Amino acid sequence: MKSNALSLALAATLFAGTAAGDAAAKEFILTAVKPNSLVLVDPAARAVHRTYPIKGPGGVLGMVPSPDGKIAYAVTNRWGSLVGIDLDTGEEVFHADFSDGDVRVRNTFGLEISPDGKELFVMQSPVRLGLGEYEVQDVRVAVYRTDAGLKAKPVRFLPVPRRTTNILLSPDGSRLYCVSWDIQAIDPRDGRVLETHKVLNWERKDYAAPDVFGVWNQYEQAQVYVNPYFVQRTDLPATDPAAMKTGMLTLDLKTGAFKMEDFENTSVIIFSSVVNPAKRNETYSVYTTLSKTDLDTNTLVKRVPLPHTYYTINISSDGKEAYVAGTMDDIGVYSTETLERIGEIKMPGGADMGSSWIRMVQR
Amino acid sequence: MKHVKPINEKAAQAERAADQAAEEGRVEEVQVMQVVVGCTSTFDPGWEVDPFGGIAALCQPMEADLYGCSDPCWWPAQVPDTINTHPDWNADAPSAQRDWRKLQNVFPKK
Repeated sequence: MKSNALSLALAATLFAGTAAGDAAAKEFILTAVKPNSLVLVDPAARAVHRTYPIKGPGGVLGMVPSPDGKIAYAVTNRWGSLVGIDLDTGEEVFHADFSDGDVRVRNTFGLEISPDGKELFVMQSPVRLGLGEYEVQDVRVAVYRTDAGLKAKPVRFLPVPRRTTNILLSPDGSRLYCVSWDIQAIDPRDGRVLETHKVLNWERKDYAAPDVFGVWNQYEQAQVYVNPYFVQRTDLPATDPAAMKTGMLTLDLKTGAFKMEDFENTSVIIFSSVVNPAKRNETYSVYTTLSKTDLDTNTLVKRVPLPHTYYTINISSDGKEAYVAGTMDDIGVYSTETLERIGEIKMPGGADMGSSWIRMVQR
Repeated sequence: MKHVKPINEKAAQAERAADQAAEEGRVEEVQVMQVVVGCTSTFDPGWEVDPFGGIAALCQPMEADLYGCSDPCWWPAQVPDTINTHPDWNADAPSAQRDWRKLQNVFPKK
């Protein structure tokens, strides 16, 4: 009788535990290190949760988790292949090599997945290798089905302007925003251009053309693409500190709202920015300093030096912690309230993240 | 570029290709950036100089930027590119700051 009661109690505990585990997804950081491994980090524990070596040469550039958090898709193999790694088993469940015959293809930064997890979008730059010359081909976004297995081929190509880097889907999957000299929203089914937001070709009086450098995707928490731009004013002498301006370009992926607003005389370089999902007027930007800016007032709120340069940044769902990453072998954890460094996670083997992205995953 | 003349057939071939592209209206894609954003792209001034004319705004330390730039062939004159031409240059050196002594010079293949 006693053992039966114990068995029942144990069964009840296990059942309850399973149900609770399914309901409460945990937040992880997904990134990659050299030579060729994905890394899943538990930010709450300030520790690496698991490392996933990928077969073949690296290094990993972009990665994107499936919407259910089960698979991580990553560009690797000298940016010439896309792999899908099952985050439970570590097995490769998807593989696409981009090059074909005498056409060498490389991914140039853009990588995205549809909200239903069925299609992958990869920015590709092909070149035909002749005997004594390179014949540059048109760039394109290649679309793959996620169920295409280990020898995946694209199901269609979407023509996009050259110098397209970031590609970003609206949360309903109906628009693919392609960041090039300007930002085009295209139909992900057939590449039809739906709308264009002018960036380089803006018509702002007394301003030259702005420079925008955005090659990392880190918009998933707030669903807002934010990127710094740098521009010279043509109505001021070049020696005037106010002649160079830094601003923030924001694109709300859900509503399509697009803005470009200056916030300071250029004083530091910024590579990547992220919007706080809990306080959507707050932006955090990184390079050799960490900057907090207010999108409502277009002002710099606070700026702190970082121990070294970081390329990329992401943020917790509750907006309380910012994670600076890329370049070397540590992810720095910063309080978004005070910009104090409150933690650090070292990468396995002390290996560099380099140009790898950093994404937030719920699983 | 009138003062630059080709002195071998390969250079002459490149010049003819450029002239042909100009005639066909295919040269408008090249855009020069206003600023050197932190490090050098192919035709900007060398990586010794930041946009403010100094060195403080360069990547700190330099090793933090090394692989981010060898990966995409960002500094083709200064750093071997691992995307195409020298894919194994840093294969034994996963940490630039710790392993830089293992990095070798590269030479043209004979």
